[in-house]
Amino acid sequence: MKDISLVRILPMEPKVPFINMRAIAAALSIMAIIASIALFSIRGLNYGIDFTGGTVIELDFKGEPQPDAIRATVAELGFGGGTVQNIAPPADLNLDYDFVRVGIPLQAETGEGGQTAQQDALKAVQDGLRASVGEFTVYSQDVVGSKVSGELRTKGALAVGLALMMVLAYIWFRFEWQFGMGAVLALFHDVILTIGVFSLTQIEFNLSIIAAILTIVGYSLNDTVIVYDRIRENLRKYKKMPLPDVLNLSINDTLSRTILTSLTTLLALIALYVLGGSGLRGFSFAMIWGVFVGTYSSIFVASPLLMLLKLKRGVNTGNAEAAVVAA
Amino acid sequence: MLFFSRWKIIFILGAVLLGLLFALPNAIPADKRENLPNMFHRTINLGLDLQGGAHMLLEVDLTSVLEQALDNERQNILQEFREADRLRSEFIRIEDGAIIGRMRDAADMEKAMAILRETSKPVDVQSLSQDKTTRVEQVGDKGFKLSITAANIEFIQKRTIEQSIEVLRKRIDPTGTTEMTLAREGEDRILLQVPGAKNIDEIKSRINKTANLSFHMVRKESNNAAAMKAAAEGRLPPGAAFFVQQGGGALIVEKRTRITGECLKSASEGLHPQGQHAIVNFGFNIRCAKTFGELTAKNLGERFAVVLDEEIITAPRINGAITGGSGFIEGSFTLESARELALLLNAGALPAKLVIVEERTVSAELGNDSIRAGKVASLIGLIGVGLFMWLSYGLRFGTIANMALATNIILIAGALSLFGATLTLPGIAGIILTIGMAVDANVLIFERIREETHLGRPPVNAIETGYRRSLAPILDANITTLIAAITLYFVGSGPIRGFAVTLAIGIIMSVFTAVIFARLLTATWLRGKRPKTLPI
Repeated sequence: MKDISLVRILPMEPKVPFINMRAIAAALSIMAIIASIALFSIRGLNYGIDFTGGTVIELDFKGEPQPDAIRATVAELGFGGGTVQNIAPPADLNLDYDFVRVGIPLQAETGEGGQTAQQDALKAVQDGLRASVGEFTVYSQDVVGSKVSGELRTKGALAVGLALMMVLAYIWFRFEWQFGMGAVLALFHDVILTIGVFSLTQIEFNLSIIAAILTIVGYSLNDTVIVYDRIRENLRKYKKMPLPDVLNLSINDTLSRTILTSLTTLLALIALYVLGGSGLRGFSFAMIWGVFVGTYSSIFVASPLLMLLKLKRGVNTGNAEAAVVAA
Repeated sequence: MLFFSRWKIIFILGAVLLGLLFALPNAIPADKRENLPNMFHRTINLGLDLQGGAHMLLEVDLTSVLEQALDNERQNILQEFREADRLRSEFIRIEDGAIIGRMRDAADMEKAMAILRETSKPVDVQSLSQDKTTRVEQVGDKGFKLSITAANIEFIQKRTIEQSIEVLRKRIDPTGTTEMTLAREGEDRILLQVPGAKNIDEIKSRINKTANLSFHMVRKESNNAAAMKAAAEGRLPPGAAFFVQQGGGALIVEKRTRITGECLKSASEGLHPQGQHAIVNFGFNIRCAKTFGELTAKNLGERFAVVLDEEIITAPRINGAITGGSGFIEGSFTLESARELALLLNAGALPAKLVIVEERTVSAELGNDSIRAGKVASLIGLIGVGLFMWLSYGLRFGTIANMALATNIILIAGALSLFGATLTLPGIAGIILTIGMAVDANVLIFERIREETHLGRPPVNAIETGYRRSLAPILDANITTLIAAITLYFVGSGPIRGFAVTLAIGIIMSVFTAVIFARLLTATWLRGKRPKTLPI
């Protein structure tokens, strides 16, 4: 049987001195974290209506869309800060949608009957556009009141916080505390950098991005756990080898797996980004970023952190054996 | 690790086959699906963001319902005190969600407390619980405090929401043919989902109207310009109310309600026998027909007002006693608006005001586009990952990994159908992500086998060790992702839950297919071929 296999081209035992690059990696990561925090506090995030409240309607006008006329009408109706975007699919995708997305910021819900303010705004804009621009069909409309958006904000933050805690608990239970600490610090690193990228690009930050962040947490941890597992195994196997060498060996042992899995995940995500439609673009962008960051952090953040946290030899051997046997 | 007992093989293949059977109906057109046995009728539920439709979260104004209940209780107490001999109170008012009062004379307290205690009845006569509706306390020697118990508040809230759901169902789906969801959500909300809804504005107008119908006598002051001016400024004669009239104008009417919406037996739209304009016909139940007959007989020549949600629809003059218990309302109706009103009246009044606090509407067209884009992206992703696995691991192991991947997708589809889970747009993203990540377990195993081969182990031994040693990392890695997915499910909402479901199912299935199904394939191949070296 003739066999072509790419993996054989990769060296069987790569010896990349990852750990020796830890100073550069640390500088890079710290700089990126500072930049992310700075960006987040100065520019903030481009929150979608899930978190700010407000109205987004997508309208399909008969004939050519006229963004300028629509913009003028929205402004005339007194909705300051309203946005109008023309959305058309890439020409080669053979999808025949093209529509106008109109965003209306959250209306104050104070006073008599205030809770209906968003619905009233929706109706006012639709009636106004119908009268002065032309007939249209509604492609989609999302209206979120201030109470619900507030709840979604809380829930989103809660979801990320809770997931981090649960995962920490699991790692703590399965590994020694240095591993748990290292993994969670690496996760914070990933989450902060992802938020930084969203602040930089000003891509809409909505509920699906929260889902993406949690998936990045899962993915990055997945990567970290694989490397950690190998570190634990090698610590047991090579009792005399210095810790940096064990770390290097373990990262290299798992390197081809890391590369392969990242590549297949990226393949699927790029297909989703390019072909999955506008609704999933933000999500797939976040995930693509997350695969890079997560892979980087397992190698350059989570593993060197074990040295910083002074992982002790010997303590961790018994546990690993038990794990294999139990599994 | 490579030995499979017969029952184990049967179990594994049975699970895969079952997954395939449950996934299969999705590939069969709906009309042909009818011929299948019942258990295979289930297909993947499409979320509203994929099939198009309206999703609305309605908040029920429970506060005002409770205020109303408290006020009723207060009116009731005032009435009882009036009827009892010489029971005089200094004041009885509502403060901080309770009724507080003080008697003029401490000697009356015993009698007053007895009456107050009478108001405390079992909350729910149908249940066995001993919960009472109110709690009465004596404050000092002349004062008292009456509050509604927590159990009663809960009962009132539950009843209000249930009634609201009932009324909404009749209003939005009068024929009972639409597939829609109406369910209580949290403390004070109702979730309404109408798949494929086109007439969003119509649905909204049916939600926004309370449809409280009442008949009031029009007061003489309505003809007095000065009284009307005072009323418009908010100064009303005692026992009177001031309502605007549909199509302009306003009237001063009696506050007292003569006929309520509950009197209605039926309503329907129709044409006026002479004018040929639209009207709403109505029929009263027997008790109200009698009341209405007496009312009209006693007030010949007077006007009465038909009030809907604090707005006068019409205020006709009584030209003769109406004893038949039926009649019609004339207003500025079109046939369409008359039909709407009849529908609202038939469904009954909402017990509380509803506010739409969240709306997500997607047209069927957009849903279709999303499904199509999702299909294309999944297919391309699947082909890309498949080719990549062949390239990476060669024909033999690449095929095993890809068979595991294909089985994984089939099992996800089967599980989604079996559990009646809802597939949403983020759910599609979850499946595509799973395609990319599912091969991870196989990659881990194959890499390990390669390593073990490299260490000089013979094929069977290398494969055996590879599977054994990669099990712990695979479980650790996947359990952590599963934890993230489960957290997302419980904290997330709507479409995000769909993502969590597909991700979680995908993770579980990928472990099953890689660790168990692919191992069975490998073992079968080993036994058949007994290779001297491994093509890996």
